[in-house]
Amino acid sequence: MDIQWPLLIFSVLLGVTSGCFVFLGVGEIKGKFKDVRFLGALIAFVCLAVGGCVSVLHMGHPERATHLLGNLGSGLSKELFTVAIMGIVSLVYLVLAKKDYPGASKVFGIIGAVLGLVLPVVAGASYLIAARPAWDSFTLPLMFLGSGLGIGMTLMAALVVLRGKADEAAFAVKLALVGVVAMVVLSLAYVAWIAMAPYQAESRSIGRLISGDLALAFWLGVVVVGLALPVALTLVAMKSVGKSTELSAPKNLAGYLFAACACSVVGAVVLRIIMYGVGTSVEQFIYR
Amino acid sequence: MTRNIIAIDLDSCIGCHSCAVVCKQENNVGLGTYYNKVLTVGPSGTYPDLEMYYLPVACQHCDNPECVSVCPTGASYKRDDGVVLVDHSKCIGCQYCVMACPYGVRTYDEAKDKGVIEKCTMCAHLIDKGDKPACVKHCPGQARLFGDMDDPESDVSKMIAKKKTYKLKDVGNHPGVTYGLDKCTWKGDE
Repeated sequence: MDIQWPLLIFSVLLGVTSGCFVFLGVGEIKGKFKDVRFLGALIAFVCLAVGGCVSVLHMGHPERATHLLGNLGSGLSKELFTVAIMGIVSLVYLVLAKKDYPGASKVFGIIGAVLGLVLPVVAGASYLIAARPAWDSFTLPLMFLGSGLGIGMTLMAALVVLRGKADEAAFAVKLALVGVVAMVVLSLAYVAWIAMAPYQAESRSIGRLISGDLALAFWLGVVVVGLALPVALTLVAMKSVGKSTELSAPKNLAGYLFAACACSVVGAVVLRIIMYGVGTSVEQFIYR
Repeated sequence: MTRNIIAIDLDSCIGCHSCAVVCKQENNVGLGTYYNKVLTVGPSGTYPDLEMYYLPVACQHCDNPECVSVCPTGASYKRDDGVVLVDHSKCIGCQYCVMACPYGVRTYDEAKDKGVIEKCTMCAHLIDKGDKPACVKHCPGQARLFGDMDDPESDVSKMIAKKKTYKLKDVGNHPGVTYGLDKCTWKGDE
């Protein structure tokens, strides 16, 4: 099907929110990252708000949004409620991060982290539609989660390296690596699903990714830029952190992590473009 | 309980496209938009044993319509008589139902009533008055039949009783439209 840009941008941005909050939540549990929690929560909140506004562009009649209570069982309704709860929690955490309420910050940080894990899964679950076999697998929402962790955690680690305490940098980079590895594993799991999905057809075959019209996007955009480069850049940052070389200067370390984050964004966007490309229906009679 | 469906005797369908044309007239369907279309299946086989039939397709008014389950506002709904409709006053145009429909028979209409979903209504405005859907009424081959599937005396039940019947691919939605075909090999499962 055609690329649904508003939904694509929304899903990538809510991934940033997710990854940032998981990172901050771990930091709250460990008692770290206090210097970046306001900035991190601000980025997470802005991404969620901007993503929400962009997703509205997909609708023909957003002014009828009051009817969204009409079917609470719909994936879209669940997604809306999760986004709303995440928005409230991130706003509260943002305010708490500016003030000094360590107990409350910890509680909302952990709630935010849990919601951060749930949000991309709920958003991705909206795509579980039997009519579109290449989407109809739990690996799709997990792919959404993985890309969110990769993007958000590398971004947050870069901020810690730049603005946080020096002794927190090593732990932050380790967390970023965990996020990137999760992104690689979950993205590849989704690609494996495309190969295994029922009702196989040329329009949604793995052959399109391996050697067909989507091969360049897959190999260059997803595998090289979106997965391999973030791993390599984060590993370089991890090897350099804490050493007294030029490479381990905060600016350089942050540069690697920002680059890993940017590459992860490219990979997430391209993988979603592929997802829409292979999201063809089991039958498509009138409108193709 | 009434379960209204459309049944199509493909052996009687002459592929004249009258159903598609009259549907547009009756429902004022915009340019480039269709509720109903007639496809040609085949020819298949090896000369001289060739087969070909026509397959009219529209909303299947499924028993378990995925378009209704995914609609966040309840704009897509199924009536007690089995007809699946869209309440345009509630439709936010999210196109989720278009993605969920296995058959590509729903369209996002920007031309007529901007930003809402259009589809076959089984001419609910006519059947509610005791009339037949326009496509059934005007089919010159009398290939299209309408009626209550739970009534053994209805036209659809009689056709189902006497012909080999088929449905479009079912991914859990249980399509309602029933196709009768004896003279050719059904290609819907390929």
